[in-house]
Amino acid sequence: MYSSKIHLIGILFCTLQAFSQECAFHIAGVIKDEGTNIPLDNASLYLEETKQGAISDDKGAFVFHNICEGKYHLVITHISCATKEIFIEVSQDTTVDLTIKHTNHDLEDVVIFGNSSNTTNQNTETISNQYISDNASQNLGSLVESIVGVSTIKNGNTIAKPVVQGNFGNRLTILNNGVAQSGQQWGNDHSPEIDPLVANKISVVKGVSALKYLGSNLGSVVLVEPNVINQEPHLHGKASYFFNSNGFGHGANLELQQYKKIGWKINATIKKAGDRSSNEFVLKNTGNQEFNIAFQLEKEYSSGLKAELYASSFNTTIGIFQGSQASNLTDLENILRSEQRFSNEDFSYDIGAPRQEVSHQLLKLHVKKELNELAYLDFTLAGQLNNREEFDNRRSALRDTPVLGLLNYNLFSEGKYHKRLSNNYVFNTGLQLSYTNNTNDSETGVLPLIPDYDLFQIGAFTTLKKKLNKNTIELGLRYDFTTQNVLRITRNEIPRRVVAEEDVFNNLNASISVKRYFSEHITGTYSLGYASRNPAINELYSFGLHQGVASFERGDPDLDTENGLKTNLELEGDINERFTFKLLGYFQRIQNYIFLEPTGFELTNRGALPSFEYNQVNAQIFGFDIATKWEITKSIFSTAKYAFIQGVNTSQGNIGIINLPSNNLRFGLGYQFTNAFKLFGRSFENTELGVNSLHVFKQNNISFDQELPLNIERTEFVPIPDGYTLLGLSFASEIQLGKNRLRLTGKVDNLLNIAYRDYLNRQRYFANDLGIDISFGASLKF
Amino acid sequence: MKFSKSLTIFVSLALSLIACKDDDSDIAIPNEEETITTVIYTLTDSQNNISTFRFEDLDGPGGNSPTITPANLLANTTYTGVLTFLNESGEEVEDISEEVKEEDEDHQVFFINRSSNIAEIAYLDADEDGNPLGLQTEFITTTSGSGFVTIILRHLPSKNAVGVSDGGITNAGGETDIEVTFSFNVQ
Repeated sequence: MYSSKIHLIGILFCTLQAFSQECAFHIAGVIKDEGTNIPLDNASLYLEETKQGAISDDKGAFVFHNICEGKYHLVITHISCATKEIFIEVSQDTTVDLTIKHTNHDLEDVVIFGNSSNTTNQNTETISNQYISDNASQNLGSLVESIVGVSTIKNGNTIAKPVVQGNFGNRLTILNNGVAQSGQQWGNDHSPEIDPLVANKISVVKGVSALKYLGSNLGSVVLVEPNVINQEPHLHGKASYFFNSNGFGHGANLELQQYKKIGWKINATIKKAGDRSSNEFVLKNTGNQEFNIAFQLEKEYSSGLKAELYASSFNTTIGIFQGSQASNLTDLENILRSEQRFSNEDFSYDIGAPRQEVSHQLLKLHVKKELNELAYLDFTLAGQLNNREEFDNRRSALRDTPVLGLLNYNLFSEGKYHKRLSNNYVFNTGLQLSYTNNTNDSETGVLPLIPDYDLFQIGAFTTLKKKLNKNTIELGLRYDFTTQNVLRITRNEIPRRVVAEEDVFNNLNASISVKRYFSEHITGTYSLGYASRNPAINELYSFGLHQGVASFERGDPDLDTENGLKTNLELEGDINERFTFKLLGYFQRIQNYIFLEPTGFELTNRGALPSFEYNQVNAQIFGFDIATKWEITKSIFSTAKYAFIQGVNTSQGNIGIINLPSNNLRFGLGYQFTNAFKLFGRSFENTELGVNSLHVFKQNNISFDQELPLNIERTEFVPIPDGYTLLGLSFASEIQLGKNRLRLTGKVDNLLNIAYRDYLNRQRYFANDLGIDISFGASLKF
Repeated sequence: MKFSKSLTIFVSLALSLIACKDDDSDIAIPNEEETITTVIYTLTDSQNNISTFRFEDLDGPGGNSPTITPANLLANTTYTGVLTFLNESGEEVEDISEEVKEEDEDHQVFFINRSSNIAEIAYLDADEDGNPLGLQTEFITTTSGSGFVTIILRHLPSKNAVGVSDGGITNAGGETDIEVTFSFNVQ
């Protein structure tokens, strides 16, 4: 796919003279910017085996003399480029043409795709491997937040799920390695079970309709992909360690890979952190632990057949803040009244109750067969197993029994066909099948919130793309058939019995988009898409207490399918390559928008509980994302990003939609040292210093009336948190240590240790968000 | 590999996947444990007159509404109160107050007096650390009238926080296991 283009590089080996003495060869070459093809001066080149160094001249040229016959590793570094290593076999004088991705032309760490033949017109933004590795302690949700227009919905700081242009949970599909993540995505407090360090690339598609992917969503997709294995016969790898001061978190990651006839790669991560602290006190029971491992095999056959096997295991234990439990209305009233409910507790690594223990396993076989230069076939078979257990404070014998135990398994298969037709047409089609089974642990002693069910889906898509002068036009259509069998337990009759339900859904997606290259510097895209999403299991059948938030939730089995019509207008470009910008405006009209509506109060043995029911209305969500980068001088650059979003419930008198992200504004100022500098006898290269700020505006979409008594229908129980501004610092530098390269990074978040609460963090009901965090990372490439 | 051949392989794999679909139409219904369906507060005076408050919600939250039985009390009388928590949702009745007694350090019952017709509700029992528990109480009425009393069972309260040992719930924290409000008449 496009990774091969992004990933590396056209290296051309040319033969010069075929006669020479041993150790009298030379390696010469020219280095250019991959995007602009402009020769790069001052690039530093290092030949690991001979410890020779060279600097490219103003024509981008360099040369190494007195090279023996043999195999070499050449390391290329350049200001504001990710360091790259290539492998060269020398048996004569050799010329290499190198290109390096000059990230400076892109928006910060977010790489914007160019017009690669396999990508779509849909807006896609990617987080680079380097950014993921520099922010190793962050989870998937927090990483994608660096993309403008992407926020997270959180419960505390270790449970975070991405929100893309207001869509999350059931409205957002997350693809792990090409396979739709299958687990308990419906829960706002269920983090995606994916290790971003195992992946090397995370992309967010802010599209109008996700045609190529199975699953019901309204256009937005998060793609998590590992890199292909480098075609490199020697064992290479990277070992990293990272530390966070807030929570005294330690983490390590090891990646090893080799390609000898068959390519293999192994990646393992281990993390452990204790209680986090807010600006003023320790948040008891907010530690987490994680152990993940992934294994990848690749083999390419001469017949144009490529096979990949991928296995990964994700295992985590997450503590939930002990003070974040409200059992009923009285508790909520108390929270409202008291400013400070908790005393300072001692820091600890212990994780008690409440907590979540989740594991996710994935096994995937992927085969791609090139039929000829213009066409290929692509097959995937995958299996997933997701096990979630949630523990609460319980009495006596039940202390170690989860209150929620869910086992989900999924089988998925996919076949795709790609053909490049004459007249610049590109044709893609595919068929997908998926089976999911979700079973509750019957020994929990609690009636399940979500019933047992199995789900079968079959879907097919076709896209057609055509290049017409300066325009690229893309059309697509997708159809999904879904059937599910549900076994629910009756609630208002005793003795209870099991009732079987069967649902059938048809979903249709269609989109059209036109991308136009106005000039070398300006590109515009217009997209229009229709997507439908059937109600998910929780929206139809949930029934019970949602602990922690003290609410009683009821599904509605009569809900209809959501229909979304979305339009995107995007303008992307640069001015003299010094100022880069990207503007994206969107408008989405959703008919039958499903949301959790307050319906009054439910009298229970715990007292009065706010009661919620899934309802559907017509809604409009619109907004815009702006990202800019300005290269002020060769070494100073600044970035600015602004995301605006608004949601309106048009059926109920244009009131705001709950759980939409707040508008936010980010600024960054960076300084890059053009030359390496010496310190402690070492040469520090690619050194960067940065200052950044994030301002989150108050969520004015939802109103909170302090005067209203609590015991009436209302969407919000505590005042909406005020806006806040966070400041941060960052540092990065690299040192060559013989054949190895060491990268050092440091960061300070919430530098001023301010007190703040975020609208989309459920913990805001109970405590302030995280205080200052100083982190440090070291990674050694070998 | 021909296109048709690979398509055949793919379709057969896909069909085998459909075949996995199981038809279990029966699942185990969990025994609801820990749930308190019934709260009984029995008041006995020195003459052995008995008055009883009763809260009952057998199908748990969300089904049918609970039934709450108020009590009739005598004026200027000192009662001994005994609280019982039961789980009557299963076939066997489970005595949750026994579990509360076994873990007395982790529990405390709070009584919120919302009437001038009750002079005092005082703790008669204590946990192993000497802090109040609240399964047994002294309940003293004043003049005739009517009013409300709220009974709250907290799990894992901060028993040493200010006012908690005197029955003040404000600083108690912890989780509410039950909260019921009873009405009463004093004659």
